[in-house]
Amino acid sequence: PADARDAAQARVRSAPAPVTDVARLCGCDLLVAQCDPNCCCDPDCSSQDFSLFTTCSIPVVTGDSQLCSQKAAVYSLDIEANPPERIFKIIDQVNPSIFCIHATNYKQALYLKSPEIPTPENFDQLLDKFGGATFNAEPDSWDLDTDAQNPPDANETSRYEYGVPVQTEDAFLRLPSPVVSSWCSDANPAGFLVNQATKCIRSVSVEKCDSIQALSMLFYINSSILASVFQVNITVQSIVVQSLNGMRTLLSSSDVLRLPMVLAELCINAVLGVNYHITHTDTGEIIEAAAAFVLGAISKEALSIEQSFEISFTQENAQPVPLSGNPGYVVGLPVRAGFQPQGYPFPAAFLSNKHSQLTILQSTSPQDCLAAQGARAPVLFGYNMVSGCKLRITAAMKCQPLAQTLLDVLKGQSFPEYVASFGNSQGQDVLDWVPITQLHISEQRISHTLQSSCQIPVSLGIEVKWTKYGSLVNPQARIVNVTATITSTTLKQLPSGRERIIPITSSVVFTDISSPAEPSYKAWPTINIKLPFDFFYPFV
Amino acid sequence: NNRSQLSSLPLQILLYVNGIYYIFYFLATLAMIIYKTQVFSYPDDLLAPDLAVLFLMAILEVPRLYLGFKGNLTEAEAPLGLSLGLTVGSVVLCVYLLLWQAYVLWADVLLNAVLLSAYGLESGLKVTAIAAFVS
Repeated sequence: PADARDAAQARVRSAPAPVTDVARLCGCDLLVAQCDPNCCCDPDCSSQDFSLFTTCSIPVVTGDSQLCSQKAAVYSLDIEANPPERIFKIIDQVNPSIFCIHATNYKQALYLKSPEIPTPENFDQLLDKFGGATFNAEPDSWDLDTDAQNPPDANETSRYEYGVPVQTEDAFLRLPSPVVSSWCSDANPAGFLVNQATKCIRSVSVEKCDSIQALSMLFYINSSILASVFQVNITVQSIVVQSLNGMRTLLSSSDVLRLPMVLAELCINAVLGVNYHITHTDTGEIIEAAAAFVLGAISKEALSIEQSFEISFTQENAQPVPLSGNPGYVVGLPVRAGFQPQGYPFPAAFLSNKHSQLTILQSTSPQDCLAAQGARAPVLFGYNMVSGCKLRITAAMKCQPLAQTLLDVLKGQSFPEYVASFGNSQGQDVLDWVPITQLHISEQRISHTLQSSCQIPVSLGIEVKWTKYGSLVNPQARIVNVTATITSTTLKQLPSGRERIIPITSSVVFTDISSPAEPSYKAWPTINIKLPFDFFYPFV
Repeated sequence: NNRSQLSSLPLQILLYVNGIYYIFYFLATLAMIIYKTQVFSYPDDLLAPDLAVLFLMAILEVPRLYLGFKGNLTEAEAPLGLSLGLTVGSVVLCVYLLLWQAYVLWADVLLNAVLLSAYGLESGLKVTAIAAFVS
């Protein structure tokens, strides 16, 4: 109804009245309807909560201290009482200075100014004063005019350094990303060696889709990258077409440039994602650039689409292996692991690829060990993880195949043998790799000492011991020891028809075994006083 | 001697002391207004009336004291009566500075209270002197 709406509008128009009663003001009451710790003025705290406090974070709440006489709320904790209780007093605080404010006729003097509430009448004026763009995405150094005046000489564009924007014929290589809000801004440059992945929303309209530049492949590949003396064209590496229901198909020929066009109330060949792959030499020169596109169709009702962009830099003749730290492991990055190739009489380089990651079982929602085979989660450094599943054992199951299946479930298809001790350990450095010690613990029940008892593994515990290595101000994490412990238990033979559910767990624990740093002091300076050779001449 | 001299000695002393005290009062109040503009937020539309009242009071004080002196010394009731009228105006302005300033500090209260009591005593003595002169 109209009066409710008017009342709501009237409420919105005026800001809530400021609270001036010192008994009700509380500066540490930050959580709504919850007790803030050590906040003696919080009204949500009960006397039980007060008994747990150690001090009062805000002991006195007063108004402006320049007033001659004012009320002050004093909060303190009586620690001697058992249990400790909060004491709340309102006292009159007197300012003894002769320049204290006795009275004021200017009511806003002692309070912060209330902001103006926007109404339809003053909205335009407020917008002029406080509106406007917040960021200027293009710094002045990337003006085209200054580039024309001082063309960068060949030496400068040949070598790129980390973070420097990748320059193209017109300005720089763009990686649209959300700035401030989720809408795409085309002014985000791609930095050299900065691997980025961004997602942003672009507003589209199906009728004008062939005129929107950002939806066509040409926009992303038409300018060539400036590198050393020649320019590197961006080639189309692959095109994947995504249908309206999300199915993606890889096109066999990626030579043909597919531009967006309107077909039967859909806009097809609209760019939904671009993945740049830039190859560079080890001196910082860009030698190749390729872009993989995901094209899709936009339906008529869609007013905006989400585009995703990614750029990755790889060095030529190198297999890209993502580092998990440089050199120490970074918390949250996967622990790198590998195999030692068989058949070599002496230690050779380790193979580490994505099939030999250290992984643990990933808990899935069915929780059935046999159903969800294959779901594994990588072990991330520093993150202790526990996962598990439930195994339903029926009388018909045979012991040996079950034990083997469970071992596969716990350890995965290719459980690695070695773990890299640093985040950037190369395969060639054999000494940088730590072998995984495998232990088997079997829980033998004393009562069942039958030889033919069946042992099935029920838990895998990986303990990774790491230490802080290097300087005290910038310690690097280094893995020292990895132990994988498999615990087996006896499986009693079930009477037929019965079934049992046993839990299977796997866990990863990271333990810090770094010894405390020993300070080392510089040696005291020695005073080198030696009498000259002929000091006692002529007596000696 | 006392009978032939109708001029009031206490009134003379009070007027003299009032003059000296007023100079101190004016400078002190002006300095405190400057202090208030620096320490507190003193918008211009509140500063202007306060300063206007202070300067108006200073302008009124000079003829008031002169007429008081003259009337008392020449034993004429007209200047003394005029001075009494100007005192009423000064009292009103002093009450404004005591109650309706933007910021009334404790020092303001002291200064204005002393001045008001001086005005009150003066007015009493002037009335007595006028009564003595008239009769």
